[in-house]
Amino acid sequence: MQGQRDDWGYATELESIAGRGAIVGIGETEYTKASGRTAREIGAEAAERAIDDAGLTPEDIDGITWSGAFPDFDVDAFHAHFGTTHDVWTSPWGGGMAWAGTAPYLAARAIEAGKARHVLNVFPVAWATQRSSMTGGPGEVHAAQSSKQNLEVPFGWFPQPVYFATIMRRHMIEFGTTPEQFAAVAVASRRHANQHPGAVMHGRDMTVADYLASPMLADPLRLFDSCLISDGGAAFVTTSVERARDLPHAPAVVAGVGEGYSGSGTNWAQQRAFTTTPQVFSAPPAFAMAGLAPSDVDVLTVYDPFTVVGLMQIEDMGFCAKGEAGAFVEGGTLHADGGALPYNTHGGLLSHAYVLGIAHVVECVKQLRGTAPAQVSDCDVAVYGGYTGHMASTLVLTQDR
Amino acid sequence: MAIRRADFPLPDLDDPVTAPFFAAAARHELALPRCERCDQYVWYPEPMCARCGETPRWTVVSGDATLFSWAVVHRPFLPAFADMVPFVTALVAIAEDPAVRLATYIVDADPETLRADQAVRVDFRPLSFPTVPDREVVVPVFRP
Repeated sequence: MQGQRDDWGYATELESIAGRGAIVGIGETEYTKASGRTAREIGAEAAERAIDDAGLTPEDIDGITWSGAFPDFDVDAFHAHFGTTHDVWTSPWGGGMAWAGTAPYLAARAIEAGKARHVLNVFPVAWATQRSSMTGGPGEVHAAQSSKQNLEVPFGWFPQPVYFATIMRRHMIEFGTTPEQFAAVAVASRRHANQHPGAVMHGRDMTVADYLASPMLADPLRLFDSCLISDGGAAFVTTSVERARDLPHAPAVVAGVGEGYSGSGTNWAQQRAFTTTPQVFSAPPAFAMAGLAPSDVDVLTVYDPFTVVGLMQIEDMGFCAKGEAGAFVEGGTLHADGGALPYNTHGGLLSHAYVLGIAHVVECVKQLRGTAPAQVSDCDVAVYGGYTGHMASTLVLTQDR
Repeated sequence: MAIRRADFPLPDLDDPVTAPFFAAAARHELALPRCERCDQYVWYPEPMCARCGETPRWTVVSGDATLFSWAVVHRPFLPAFADMVPFVTALVAIAEDPAVRLATYIVDADPETLRADQAVRVDFRPLSFPTVPDREVVVPVFRP
């Protein structure tokens, strides 16, 4: 796999912003099944709570990053909700998914350039509510693409559970990964959700046997390999480290950011390195920017729509060799209580909520503050691995040192 | 974003970029667009070769392939698939260039007997869905 790095994808060249920004406010809505709420309402509530948590007012927010991909809460929505009219620096390259990891980079750059002082990143989703009417959701976005609509969907290679079942089988073929190893990811995620009262799957135990007994959606992919579909949202506020020190919470310092792309875009079927994610391009420069190594990481959250995406990113970010994540995650490796690599300590997309990664970043901040429900002791370095299929991001956050 | 085409999930034969694939299948030929200047397939099809801008030419290939990976679909993710489950959907790598993968059905095979990278061969079958009455499109499928 190493030799294929350059012929199927690439990293974005980023300026070093190590220590130039810090996350000082986090806000979350309830995470639920279908709520009947709109994403815009959810986004407003998340924004309100993040601003409040930062000890700021809406008038202090002079930068907003939001999701151009799912434009439910933008600057107009912000002003409409808060009744404000002030000038705001803005970028649509924020929100959730991989962009939840790169939004702090945009914020740090804008702050450094004097364009903004306090930058809000916000991402809401109401796919659980929308699913019943099929006006949204992950499958529809894909079916609308010509190549997928004509060359994949008619052949039953659709939607995401089928794509990732196929990736999962190839991972099993190439590396001997077993169902019990995928189970270890699902079980660790549920274990953490059970320590987190706000997790959608809180209170529902899962054992390896439960995993193995869960229905096959697309063999080898089971129901319990798969993320939830949820309503909910979160937001966070980034400012300079100097300014952060005057605010109520201990800063989560932005130490490193990386961004990588697959050259085949969202056409996973054609991705040359089929069982690898663009994390191989994103993670090394992020760790280099931070002056840290994977072995320094105390908590890892990764975008985990399916268990195999968690496994692949653990490999591709350098926590173990390529192909060895199956053996690596067996037992308690991923557990918050004493594991070597505490992983998705809020429960992830599998068991916390499917809010597309924004809650993963919030969880990193909570772990650094020492306020996470499944708190890891002495958390100095927390990392988010973002993933959007064709794109990966890596966000390294640290204590203020 | 929503798909409003009445014959979905049959392929859209009015889509100029992918229509030649199905026109070839109707003749029981597997054809793929190829840039002759760059000596490579342009897959998925694009109106122009991304490397040189040349218009790719649809070229008949042997129909021999290997089974790259597959899933046995049990949950019908679209209403159209409800009567088909379980079925085997796969990616096959064509003999001429294994980097070119086709999404396809594996037919005439017990899913339990499928093996990674085994040889498969193209066949052509009419594809229809109960949700799209009175329409069928001949498509390439593969069998061991």
